[in-house]
Order: sequence, then C-alpha cells, then structure tokens
Amino acid sequence: MKPKFTDVLLSILSYSWLIISAVVVLVPLLWMISAAFTSGKLLSGVPLFPDPSRFSLEHYQFIFSYRSNPAQALADFPGAFVRTLQIAILNTIGVAFFSVTTGYAFARLRFKGKKNMLLTMMVLQMFPSFMGMVALFLLFRTFGFLNKPNYLALIYTAGSIPYNTFLVRGFMRNIPKSLDEAAAIDGASPLQILRMILFPLIVPIIGFISISAFMAPWLDFILQYRFLQPERMTVAVWLFRTTDPFNTLFYNPLRFMAGALLIAIPIMIIQFFMQRYMVYGLTSGAEKG
Amino acid sequence: MKKRKSFKSFFQSFFADIKKNPDALKSAIMSFFIMGLGQLRNKQKSKAAIFFLILVIFVLFEFLTGSYTYAPREMMRYPADPGSTIYFIRDYGGFILSGLWGLFTLGKVPGGTMYRGQFVETFNRVIPWLTADNSVTLLGVGLIALILTAIFLSFWVYNIRDAYVSRKAELAGEEIETGMAYVKRLWTDMFPYIILIPTLIMILFFTLIPFLFSFLLAFTNYTYRIPIPNRLIQWVGFDTFKLIVGDAGWLSIFGQVLGWTFLYAIMASATCYILGMIQALIIESKYVKIKKLWRTILIIPWAVPAMITLMVFKNVFDTAGLANQLLYATGSMEQVSTFLFNIGLQGAIDNPIFWLTRVYNGPLAKAIIILVNLWLGSPYFMMLITGVLTTLPKDLYEAASIDGASKWQSFRNITLPLILRATLPAIIMTFTFNFNNFGAIYFLTGGGPDWPRELVPTSMRIMGGIPGQTDILISWIYKLSFDNNAQLYNVAAVYSILIFAFVGFVSVYNLSKSKGLWEED
Repeated sequence: MKPKFTDVLLSILSYSWLIISAVVVLVPLLWMISAAFTSGKLLSGVPLFPDPSRFSLEHYQFIFSYRSNPAQALADFPGAFVRTLQIAILNTIGVAFFSVTTGYAFARLRFKGKKNMLLTMMVLQMFPSFMGMVALFLLFRTFGFLNKPNYLALIYTAGSIPYNTFLVRGFMRNIPKSLDEAAAIDGASPLQILRMILFPLIVPIIGFISISAFMAPWLDFILQYRFLQPERMTVAVWLFRTTDPFNTLFYNPLRFMAGALLIAIPIMIIQFFMQRYMVYGLTSGAEKG
Repeated sequence: MKKRKSFKSFFQSFFADIKKNPDALKSAIMSFFIMGLGQLRNKQKSKAAIFFLILVIFVLFEFLTGSYTYAPREMMRYPADPGSTIYFIRDYGGFILSGLWGLFTLGKVPGGTMYRGQFVETFNRVIPWLTADNSVTLLGVGLIALILTAIFLSFWVYNIRDAYVSRKAELAGEEIETGMAYVKRLWTDMFPYIILIPTLIMILFFTLIPFLFSFLLAFTNYTYRIPIPNRLIQWVGFDTFKLIVGDAGWLSIFGQVLGWTFLYAIMASATCYILGMIQALIIESKYVKIKKLWRTILIIPWAVPAMITLMVFKNVFDTAGLANQLLYATGSMEQVSTFLFNIGLQGAIDNPIFWLTRVYNGPLAKAIIILVNLWLGSPYFMMLITGVLTTLPKDLYEAASIDGASKWQSFRNITLPLILRATLPAIIMTFTFNFNNFGAIYFLTGGGPDWPRELVPTSMRIMGGIPGQTDILISWIYKLSFDNNAQLYNVAAVYSILIFAFVGFVSVYNLSKSKGLWEED
C-alpha cells in the first residue's frame, strides 16, 4: 500500500507545482492584456480582474490615429510599423543569401583557416553591436546612411551571419555527401550543386533563419534609437518612448502595453509554429550524442 | 625555454636553406623588389602577370586617390608657415598613405587654425587640405587603410615565397607547374574564398572594424570634452588604463560592477538551468497527464519577445504596478515589506515597496532582475532538457532497477550526469550570453537605483559615467559611451577590451572543446 501513497503524494505535488508555475507565467501576461484595454495612463487604475465596465479602446485609437507631425502621411505607429517592416524584409533577404552561401562553404568545401574563421565569427557575434557603435555611426555618417532605416539592415545582417551560418552548416552536414559527389561526377560545378542539389533539401532551415531574421529588427532597440531621428522612428523606439518616464509627452505605460500586444501576438504565433526548428537550433549548439 | 629553442632552430634551418639555394634566393629577391619579377625569371608568365597586376592595382589605387599631380604647383603657391612644415602626405597622399599617416598621428591640423597661410575650416570643398583633421574619422579611415595594406603585404610575402619555392623545385628537377595550370588551380582552390568574399566584407565592415576601432579608442584621450574637429585627440598609450587602475574610487566601483556582473551571470544561468530541469523532469514524469498542455503553457515566456517582457516587468514592479497591487489586494503588503527588510533586501520598511528605484533598495532590484530573468530564461532549458530526456537510453534504467537501485539513485547516477554532459556547452553559452545581457538590465532597471552619493568617487563625479547599482559591465559601457555628459569613449573602450578578452576566451574554449562541431567527415 505504501508505494501507492507516495504516488498520490507525488502527483499532487507535481500538479500543484505546475499550477503555481502556470499562474506565475500567465498572470503578468493577463495583466498586460487588461492594461492594454484600460483607459488613462495610471498603472494603479488597471483592474486585477477583467472588468467589462472599464473596457476601452482608447489606446488603440491613439495608436492608429496620432500623428506627431500633421503633415505625416501615416500615423506614428503605423509609420514605425512600415519602416520596421522594410528593415525586416531586407534583413530576411540578406541573411538568407549570406548564411546559405557561407554555410555551404563551411559545410562542404575544404580550405585553409576554416576552423579559425568559423570560431572568430562565432566569438564576434557574442558582443552587442553597440560596442562598435561609435565606428558604425561614423561609417554611416561617411556614407550618408544616417537616418535611413533601411540601411540598418546591413548591420543586422552582418551581425546574424555567424550564428545562421552555423545552423546552415549543421543542417547541411546531415545531408549525405554522396549526393554532391554524384553530381560532381556528372560535371556539376560547386555552385550548381548548391543551387540544384542542396538548396531544395535545406529549405526548412532557410525557413527558420528567414523567420528569425524577419523578427530581429522588431525587437532591437539601441541601433534604431541612436541612428534614426524621432520622425523616422521604428516600432521598438515607439515602444520604448512610452515607457520612458522622462519623456513626459509620450510616457504612458498602458499605451505601451497596447502597442506591445500588437507586436507580441504575431511574434508569439510565429514562435509557436517554429518551435520544432527552434529546438533544433538550440540543440545544435549542444554536443552531439 | 622549449619554444625559444624551436624558434631558433627554425631560423637556423631557414638560413641554411637559403645558403644552399643562392639561385632561388635571387628569384626571391627579384620578387621582393617588384612583384612577379622572380616568377618571370622562373618562366611562369601568367603567374608573374597576376602578381604584377596586384602591385599595379595597389600603386594605382594610391596614386589615383591622392592628388600628387597638384603638389608641385600648390607647394609654390602656398608655402609652409614660418616655423612649421607642410604635411605632404596629409595634403596630397592617396587613401593608403594619408590613411596610415592619419592613423599614426591622429591629425595635425585642427579647425580654426592657420595652415600654409590659409584658414582651416571644418569642411573645404575646393582645397581638400584646408579641411580640418577630424581625429575620429582619421582613425576609422586609417584602420581601413591598414587592413588594405595588410592584405597587400600578405600577397607580397606570398609572392616572394612562391618565387623562392618554385625555383628551388625546378632546380631539384621537379616538374614545374605552368602559369596557366596555376591560374586554373587557383580558381578551384580559391573558390571557397571567392564564395566567402561578400560575407567577409560584411563582417569586416560592420563587425570587425567597428570593434577594432572601439578598442583603439582605449589608447586615446577621446572623451566628450574634446570638441572635434576643432581639437585633436591623441594617442596616450596606457594612460586610460592607469587612470582606471590608479584611482581607488574607480577601482572600487569597477570591482563592485564586475562582482555583480559575475554574480548576475552565474545566478541567472544557474537558476534558469535548475528551474528548467525541474519543469522538464516534472512534465516528463509519469505523474503528469496532458504533458503537451503544460509544456505549451510553460513555454509561453520564451515566445514573448524579451524586450517586451522586460518592459512589461518594469511596469509590473513599478510602485503602482501589478506586484504592489497584488500585495495590497491580498492584504500582505506589510508582512512582505517587513520580511524583505528583515532578510536585508530592502533598506527600509516601505509601503508601497519601491522595487527598482530607491538608493537603499539595490539588493532588492538585483533580486528582481534575477527573478525576471528566471521567468524569461527557464523555458529555454526546459525545452533543451526535455529534448535530452527523450534520448536517454531506457536499458540503463532497467539494468539499474534490476540491480536494486532506488529511483533517487538512478536519477543521481544516470539521469543527472547524462543531462549535464549533454547540456554543458549550452550552459557555458548561456553564461557568456548573460555576461553580455545588456537588455536585461537596460530595459528593466536602466541600471538604477543610483549609488549612495558618498560611495561615488570624486573623480567619477567630475568625469561622469557613474554606473547604477544594478549596472553590469556591458550596460555600464553603454552609459560611458552614450549618456549625455558622460561620453568617456576611452574608458568605455578599456572595459570593452576587458569583456572581449574574457568572454572571447570562455567561448573559444567552449566552442573548440565540443568535438561534434569540428569533426570532418
């Protein structure tokens, strides 16, 4: 009879632990949703339990209609959204191109200095890009790229090449080499092998890195904050502005929650669909076997 | 001692080899002076042409980007000021030479002064040399010139070596490769590099050069007090290092920041790992049904973008935020506040609690940072360890239970070591990530609360760039570089070098240790 008792006890313990964890996970998020639909700018006014009588779309009205300069074609938030979208699209194209070619070179070709090159790249990407920001600022000023959101994609792309190269390389190494060799015997050049044999097989990992690359600019803040004037701001800057108490004109934590919800929900949905690949990305960093 | 000896013997054998092959040395010397000349002597025409072309391109590039042709006329017309000289390379040199000059001197002619009898402006469209020297630009351009020179020099060395080696092989009677065959082989050999060129250029310009540039700033006196381009910055060697190490106040603040950085990185990684493991073990245990539901709920924090999570928690721990509201709603504000005071996290029994702001609440803010990071980071390890758990060999457990091992024993001796071994690289990666986890500090507390004034050294109060109590090194570097009135670029650069050395070392060690990453098939 004794083992039965410990089983019951353990399952009660397990479930209570999980329930507590779930509450801790969900409460801040529910509060965020509740805040997004509460009017005003006071956090203390946010009801702890959803209260239909205080439901308000005030912040969303602001988000979709407020123009800090009446001459703007788009309202602030949609404008920021479009600019970020442009950066995201450019970044996606860049990252896909660079990491496929580089990943291919590191997975399939033999050359001197391969290991050291990959190692250097992996180490360089451990550091936030603002460590080189004084120089980047200078570079952008020299080439006239300042205050032009699209050029930021260059920095994002360069910064994410190493890790994505690493992923593509790992994925390609699981494809049997005999495929390339057969093609090479038939007279295919390395580029043809990449385009016709390997490319169709690595579509899943390209999908994954493209989506990661697409999401990156929405959540990076420092570069966008430093390189762009307020009238060219991006979503991240918009969000930060609403949580900065020194910015008296725009500070409004409830408005932040409303905007954050708009960005977070699509990203969460994407993340859930990408879970399988994410796990692959995570474990490829770990040792085999 | 051992290394030195082998170095010496390398030189000995090198010179012995040269003595034996005077004819090959002749080819090498010819290539030393003019690239490709030795190859021509070796009767490798195409190869000679390639090397010669590289030389011509390099020299032409320097010549065409310079304004050497203007020099004689202008030097007559605008002679040097009495008691001073004309900086010929600065005024007429091409990209490479004037770049190297700028890197070496960081400029000689600031704006607002007289040079060669003319007034120096911030920008002069007509006469380029009347544009003031901007030390920062010179440093950046100089760095690019230096890299181009280094690339050229490596070709040059290769060309000398090639002339020598080919001649030697020919004299030894080996069949020598014709120039054309060499070009063909070059194309196939070079293919990997050619396909990598776009990537290398991207990384060079947007990652490597900016980092090198930041590091070089550590050896200058560049701070916001120098109004560029009307003043010049200077190379000061290790003065900035000395300032930081020599000033007891700086050193103690630095020590505290560094201590907290390590504590944060270790605690953040360890707590996330342990909680992630507990969640994974519980969900995967036989007591829990509908595993998928629980897993999905507990993964949510990982799907929410980190920046948004951090800003949401900044509001949760606002004085009017969710945390205090919950405490009021449950009527436990007073008990919790007293409790936090008693365990030393809070400096006073406040009502409401100032989670992230008051000077005396530094420890509380630190604890909150680690807790929020736990909320954010544990799903990663939960997923990772769940993945590992599915790969554990079942037969080991059966064997263990046949041998009479208890569940705890088989967990301790089988499960735990296997999980640890499989996830060790990931733990180290998380540690280095957290060491540089700028966002976790910047978006949550912004480094606050401030230090009590009496703890801040006078020198720091004068120079600016005071960190907050929760600032880790990387967020302090950000403050040092970009806070208004605190742009101490040189100090920030010194700390950047420090971080780079440490994190670089750990991650190189970690990456090169994991064998699975490198084995070639």
